[in-house]
Amino acid sequence: MVDFDRYQLNNGLTIILHHDSTTPMVVVNVLYDVGARDEQDQKTGFAHLFEHLMFGGSINIPEFDTELQKAGGESNAFTSNDLTNYYDIIPAQNIETALWLESDRMLSLAFTEKSFEVQRNVVIEEFKQRYLNQPYGDVWLHLRPLAYENHPYKWATIGKDISHIENAKMEDVKSFFKTFYTPANAILCISGNFNKHSIRGQVENYFGDIPGNPKPNRPDFIEPQQEKYKSKDIYSDVPAGAFYYAFKMGSRKSKEYYFGDLMSDAIGKENTSLLNIKLKKELELVSEINAFITGSIDCGLFIISGKITKGKGFEELDKQLWKILDEIKISGVGDQKLNALKNKIQTAKAFQEQGLLNRSINLSYFELLGDAEDINKENARYKEIKNNDLSLFAKKLFVKSNCSLLKVHQYDSEK
Amino acid sequence: MIQRNRAPLTQQIDKIDFICPKEIWINPHVKFLWMEQVPNQTSRIDLYFDAGLRKDRNIVASICSALLLSGTNQKTSTQIHSQLDELGSYFDIGLSHEGILISVFALKTNLLESVEILYDAIQNVIFPEKEINEMINERREKHKINEKKVSFLSQRKFQEKIFYDTPYSELTNLKDYDQISRNDLINFHKQNIKKGLYKIALVGSLEEKEINSLIHLFKGNCVKKKLTYFSDFSNQPGVFTVPMDSALQSALRVGKTMFNKSHTDFYDFSILNTVLGDYFGSRLMKNIREDKGYTYGIGSALVETGASGYFIIGSEVGIEHIQPTLTEIKKEMDLLCEKEMGANELDIVKNYLFGQMLKSADGPYAMMDLFLSVDAYMLNIDFYNHYITRIHEITPEDLRNMANKYLKWDSMSVVHTI
Repeated sequence: MVDFDRYQLNNGLTIILHHDSTTPMVVVNVLYDVGARDEQDQKTGFAHLFEHLMFGGSINIPEFDTELQKAGGESNAFTSNDLTNYYDIIPAQNIETALWLESDRMLSLAFTEKSFEVQRNVVIEEFKQRYLNQPYGDVWLHLRPLAYENHPYKWATIGKDISHIENAKMEDVKSFFKTFYTPANAILCISGNFNKHSIRGQVENYFGDIPGNPKPNRPDFIEPQQEKYKSKDIYSDVPAGAFYYAFKMGSRKSKEYYFGDLMSDAIGKENTSLLNIKLKKELELVSEINAFITGSIDCGLFIISGKITKGKGFEELDKQLWKILDEIKISGVGDQKLNALKNKIQTAKAFQEQGLLNRSINLSYFELLGDAEDINKENARYKEIKNNDLSLFAKKLFVKSNCSLLKVHQYDSEK
Repeated sequence: MIQRNRAPLTQQIDKIDFICPKEIWINPHVKFLWMEQVPNQTSRIDLYFDAGLRKDRNIVASICSALLLSGTNQKTSTQIHSQLDELGSYFDIGLSHEGILISVFALKTNLLESVEILYDAIQNVIFPEKEINEMINERREKHKINEKKVSFLSQRKFQEKIFYDTPYSELTNLKDYDQISRNDLINFHKQNIKKGLYKIALVGSLEEKEINSLIHLFKGNCVKKKLTYFSDFSNQPGVFTVPMDSALQSALRVGKTMFNKSHTDFYDFSILNTVLGDYFGSRLMKNIREDKGYTYGIGSALVETGASGYFIIGSEVGIEHIQPTLTEIKKEMDLLCEKEMGANELDIVKNYLFGQMLKSADGPYAMMDLFLSVDAYMLNIDFYNHYITRIHEITPEDLRNMANKYLKWDSMSVVHTI
């Protein structure tokens, strides 16, 4: 059970306070409701580039990290298609430093040419390191536009193309800040051993006078129902052929999220999952196989990915995979398996809840989804799921016309 | 009104309360460590076996550790995993030169039963041929993928140079996957797992009688002598390159033989390492990422082994930035040797380190990990109190001396892909 208080400042900033007297630390977490989905088609990768700039000095404070480190703290951030999240971990007695830093960069950034120039280069190196210079590193750059027709989920957080980052202009970044980095578009969660009596006053002091622009309107992107099977083949210098089946599924807020989470664990996580037993152990068609969901806030993807065993082909794999998926549509994953998965989720949640940072990020995330209180309802949501729910879900999900398949072929074997 | 251009007052951390686990001696060489105050339902047990890479060819130790749950005369691999799944338990197996570490994570009510299942599996494993072939194929494929990664190639070359001319420099190659038999695994298991348990660490508010059951379970498999580790390392200095076609980035590694916590210079060198490359505001990050934009990240670390250790700087940089990056790394090392750092910078590092120390002592799991990290070198928790004192006392002059003693460019092994 995670206890918290929640309220709003006049400028629209949502505050969540979660007190924990057993830790000597405090986490100050700021989640902005902006992600790669809010970018323009021809200017992708901005939300993430912007995350880098948030460490390049704010209007009154030239060096963010230096000030935090002086107070014994550290910080980091991450960007996804849905959101951008910043956190500071700091000894509880120095909480004011984190409030001072976070409020100043919410007020305004310094926008120096130097920081802009350097961070653009850093992000270009990140693009190379994570997406271009790794075997299979570029698959998401192909898979997203294959699976999504209309929704901005069709590009990756890093951006569609490295040239979008190279061509970024200072004016683009400034307008991005002005639109999205407003109090009404943010959730501030403070957790740990803060002073219960003074915390609200401290928050008001630092964040209360930040001008309150309205929360930006987000267009509704309707992702049309997929009507036909799609596939794409790419050729690359890789040691084994790889496949990525992407099935469109419901939103993070729908029941399908929980069905998909359990289903992906059941068929493609660890040794005892159905696809591992059948396709890897029994038929020896793959050297590895996994299933997972993206958990996107709007329409998500259910992914089955793996690598083909040397000497085996995509066609045989495809045939056998669909055979198993068809069986799941009839019998689900079985009660025994389902119970084991629920037990594992309960253990995993208990361990996650131990960490102050995890609690902080999760409270902010559930608030973004609609209600921070939902953090305490997750276990119950999993518990009520029946095997029959999963077979019905499979019937809807595992349909050819709902599937996009990306195949990565080896250069060598195709020559 | 707050003054936004002035930092709030901060307080320095001067004291941290460290908590030690209870020590129960199973025999004169093996202890069971128990952190019993845990304010929730979670628990974790760590089992340390003297079965590291140094005990055999790399491939034998690594395939053996990966197949510890591959089946017994009574149960198949799938049955063992399913039983653990039903209890909602997770496990993890780690392998280093010095040992195998098996950890089980479970709700405390399920821990004993989970450990009994896992322990029976690893002690009575029969290494079925089919499981062996499957694992070898899987590892071979992973190895081929790794060979396409610049970080993997540089790290391998670096390992050769840092552990130069010792057994620790042995690398696993593709052909090794064809040269391993079931007998190799059975022998390795018999010699190193059957009688190789040398430390147990439990975090969790279990009952006393459960602890006794665990001790009873482990008793017969404990080592009966003091462990020894290889210590006579001396890195091969120089610049070494690894060819890699059509890569956009190069992986760099720079480092040399160093030491572990039992060495008298450990405190001072650790602090120096932080200054150079072990936090976001470090000199390497500030210069090479935040000023030049050559890389997504660069960092340095002091890595410990059983009786020694090494220093390492690592980064991935655009191909066109290789030489400029090496030049800047050398410049930063030279600067630390030549010029004392300013009081302001040292102050930031000190406060950052106090904050890190406080964080690393937050909660029973963190506290156990801190304890294990000194216990490995026969030290006790006083190590951290002395460290705090040393951070308070250390001067720019001390750090310059440290740099002159250890950070000479010519003593480094430098590796990069081209």
